[in-house]
Amino acid sequence: MTRDCEEIKSLLGAWLDGELGASEAAEVRLHLQGCASCLGEKARLEKLQSSLKSVLEAKASQLAFEPFWAGVRQRIAEERPWHARLIDWARAVLSPPRLAWAIPAVIIILLAGLSLEQFFPGWRWALNRSNLAAVESIDGHGFNVALLRESKTKTTVIWLFENHEGEEETSAEPVSGGPAF
Amino acid sequence: MKAKRKLPRSLFRAALLFSLWLALLPAPLGAAEKGQPGVQVKIGTILATNQADCSDSQLSKMKQQLEVIKYRCYHLVKEESQKASWLANAVFEIPGGRSLVVMPQEYRNNRISLKVRLLEGEKPIVDTTVRVPNRGNFLLGGPAHEGGVLILSISAATQ
Repeated sequence: MTRDCEEIKSLLGAWLDGELGASEAAEVRLHLQGCASCLGEKARLEKLQSSLKSVLEAKASQLAFEPFWAGVRQRIAEERPWHARLIDWARAVLSPPRLAWAIPAVIIILLAGLSLEQFFPGWRWALNRSNLAAVESIDGHGFNVALLRESKTKTTVIWLFENHEGEEETSAEPVSGGPAF
Repeated sequence: MKAKRKLPRSLFRAALLFSLWLALLPAPLGAAEKGQPGVQVKIGTILATNQADCSDSQLSKMKQQLEVIKYRCYHLVKEESQKASWLANAVFEIPGGRSLVVMPQEYRNNRISLKVRLLEGEKPIVDTTVRVPNRGNFLLGGPAHEGGVLILSISAATQ
């Protein structure tokens, strides 16, 4: 597929600068061999480039670069105020691609915390509270009742004793005949 | 340049969709926690005596708990497990013509509230309400039996 002159002319600048790919450059080169119009355009561009180069080379030696470099050095050495650094940091951290991953990351951490109870039942309460059974009410129906709670072995014991005459119905201490807690 | 801008947007969209999915994920899990179908109640009936030193291998897991009571011999007489519905009675036969009625009342803060009633025939011996840690237990002891005393290990676990 051959390109028309307009296309080739639009590629000439890039071709002269060596910016085209191998196949495209070969196509331009081939077209130039058989097209006087494009060859003329190429000659015009080459002449323009050559003129610009000579002018720039002549003027470059007269340019004073020292003030420019002094300004660059001053900006590098300049201590920026804390709020400007903070804004830069926030801008970098809260840029959309990073923020995009931060949202699910925060949600995952929150859900993981909330879901621990599903996988490790009782972990929260184990941290804050004793793991002993708690007796809310006891009615001995005429028996004496002793209650023992021992945290080391996580043991709660409700012990019943025969109610002897003269003893109170409920007692914190076991009567004789019961186990020596 | 165009392609570079497109990438963060697609990432952002994907992240938002993922977040939405994650946010919806715990809904069924939460529902499962609230609607505990019932409680597995297990009663171990242990005979404690002072006749001779002995050890029952079936009670090895409870060894430390039983040491608190300081009898010389413990023997597992019976073990029974039942699935109990909330606010419904589960009845366990206990040696010596006794029965134990257990009613799971509430599950809160990883604790199961159990209403427990020990009967001797028709006569109530004890009524108690105990908040047991989920998968935990408590001991109810004292009734005389065959030269020793009975100790009931009452444990409960949500299903």
